[in-house]
Amino acid sequence: MKKKSVWPRVYLAFIFIVLYAPIFYLMFYSFNSGGTMNNFEGFTLEWYKELFGDKRLLIIVLNTIIIALLSSAISTIIGVLGALAIVYMRKKTAKQALLSFNNVLIVSPDVIIGASFLILFTMAGIKLGFTSVLLSHIAFSIPIVVIMVLPKLQEMSSSLIDAARDLGAGHWDVLSKVVLPYISPGVFAGFFMALTYSLDDFAVTFFVTGNGFSTLSVEIYSLARRGISLNINALSTLLFLFTIILVAGYYFIMQRNSRSAGAGVQK
Amino acid sequence: MTKEVIIRFDHVTKRYDNDAVVLDHVSFEIERGKFYTLLGPSGCGKTTILRLIAGFTEASEGDIYFNGKRMNNVPANKRQVNTVFQDYALFPHLNVYENVAFGLRIKKVKNSEIDRRVKEALRFVNLSGYEKREITEMSGGQRQRVAIARAIVNEPEVILLDEPLSALDLKLRTEMQYELRDLQKRLGITFIFVTHDQEEALAMSDEIFVLNQGKIQQSGTPTDIYDEPINRFVADFIGESNIVPGKMIRDFEVEFAGKVFECVDQGLNQNESVDIVIRPEDLEITSWNEGKIQVKVDSQLFRGVHYEMICYDEAQNEWLVHSTKKATVGEKIGLNFEPEAIHVMRLGETEEEFDKRLESYQEAGYEQ
Repeated sequence: MKKKSVWPRVYLAFIFIVLYAPIFYLMFYSFNSGGTMNNFEGFTLEWYKELFGDKRLLIIVLNTIIIALLSSAISTIIGVLGALAIVYMRKKTAKQALLSFNNVLIVSPDVIIGASFLILFTMAGIKLGFTSVLLSHIAFSIPIVVIMVLPKLQEMSSSLIDAARDLGAGHWDVLSKVVLPYISPGVFAGFFMALTYSLDDFAVTFFVTGNGFSTLSVEIYSLARRGISLNINALSTLLFLFTIILVAGYYFIMQRNSRSAGAGVQK
Repeated sequence: MTKEVIIRFDHVTKRYDNDAVVLDHVSFEIERGKFYTLLGPSGCGKTTILRLIAGFTEASEGDIYFNGKRMNNVPANKRQVNTVFQDYALFPHLNVYENVAFGLRIKKVKNSEIDRRVKEALRFVNLSGYEKREITEMSGGQRQRVAIARAIVNEPEVILLDEPLSALDLKLRTEMQYELRDLQKRLGITFIFVTHDQEEALAMSDEIFVLNQGKIQQSGTPTDIYDEPINRFVADFIGESNIVPGKMIRDFEVEFAGKVFECVDQGLNQNESVDIVIRPEDLEITSWNEGKIQVKVDSQLFRGVHYEMICYDEAQNEWLVHSTKKATVGEKIGLNFEPEAIHVMRLGETEEEFDKRLESYQEAGYEQ
């Protein structure tokens, strides 16, 4: 075989350095005792201590997590039902239309979604705060769940449903004992995607959040605007590590699933 | 044995949204405890009949009776039939045991009872000891057996099999044919088997329905259908055959390929135009002078058990010959056959008229 050129690898390395360097730069200075990001004076965990001492910030972290878990759970339920409705829709045109509407929501800019939610909530008289943030997160997560679940549903042979009905299963049994177990990988993927989208959403939240309620990304933004404090660096570092753990966990689960499914073939 | 009708179709028609008719006024009866085969080319409506019996689709017109009760509106999960699907349709998230137990769990059967019946069903299909296996760990033939076990464990009155052997290789398919036939005899359940493979149908069935374009062309035992095909389609579809146009001169005398031959058919009009069928294995090679028909060998293939030759007579009729004897391409030979080998088919005769005519032969036979 021809030896591969070294340049593709150099290029790839360069790209990753450009992508990750700012993050690592930020993480590095979170341990700086100097208080600025200009020169590194000495190692300290002071910023982390300060972070954990800040009650307000901890409540915001809690808010963010609650919003993320609630919105992704609710949107997963609605999204799965939506995907089922789309797949088993009889009319081809209606099916296509629904799918298109779904996809438009995924590609449309967050700013537009955020602004329109702001208008909607003010017109409907919903107080900006927890409820408005939760509702908007649910709304933008549903299309993501639908997109993650649909391929699994489409790949499922219709004879599986026939077989279940043939064996005496009613509609509920078919759904709970055959369809849901079959599409569960897609449902989990959709849930995790919704979770990450909700955790790091800034634009939509920024529009619909009110006084006294904030999520992490909005808070970091306002902190960063107010002035440089290495608090932000410490917080960002923790967030980054948390994300890494989430991603690793997701891959670990997926790996284990595919191994248990594939292992038997070798026997 | 008493003949007990278990399923009856009464002028059942099925069409999909203004499209062409899939089933066209089909009527038939299925008796308890027999092995039936629905045979026909793809798109003939055989799978539609199966889906109608199972309840996955509804008839546009006509009635379907099950044990004398109309069951057009009974949903699939309330019917006493179970299906073995073409792609097996095993649940990938359940292991072998749970797949077989699925129907019993739905019916909330007691655990001890489930255990006993699942193990018995698996023993029936020679899969004892495979309970804990995942479906992905099973080969095609084994999955097939799991699918059968999943159907028989519910003790249905009828088992429907939708081309279940089509995905298996030739050797396994032959093996499964024996096993299915054996299983049906042991269980005594009615089997309705759908296939497009005529050999499979002939080997396994008590009774065959030959379907084409949404209509039952002919029904009968394998030998009936093979020996006395009702029309050109059946003759052509079941086995290989030579079909040539001919004319019935009078009873026991038929003209084709420019000559008059003795035959065993009677009761037709004089000088009626007919189709003549002669099976390739009924043709015997002899010398040019001794043959009833004189032909020239056009091509020859070695098929293992026999040689297959394509010959042409002077009227340019094609004759397919199966013979253990070898001929030379281009050689002029004679073909010999018995009067019984000639099957006369009336043009456009329905199955009822055909049956009536056959009966009249038998009556005539008794009188003689």
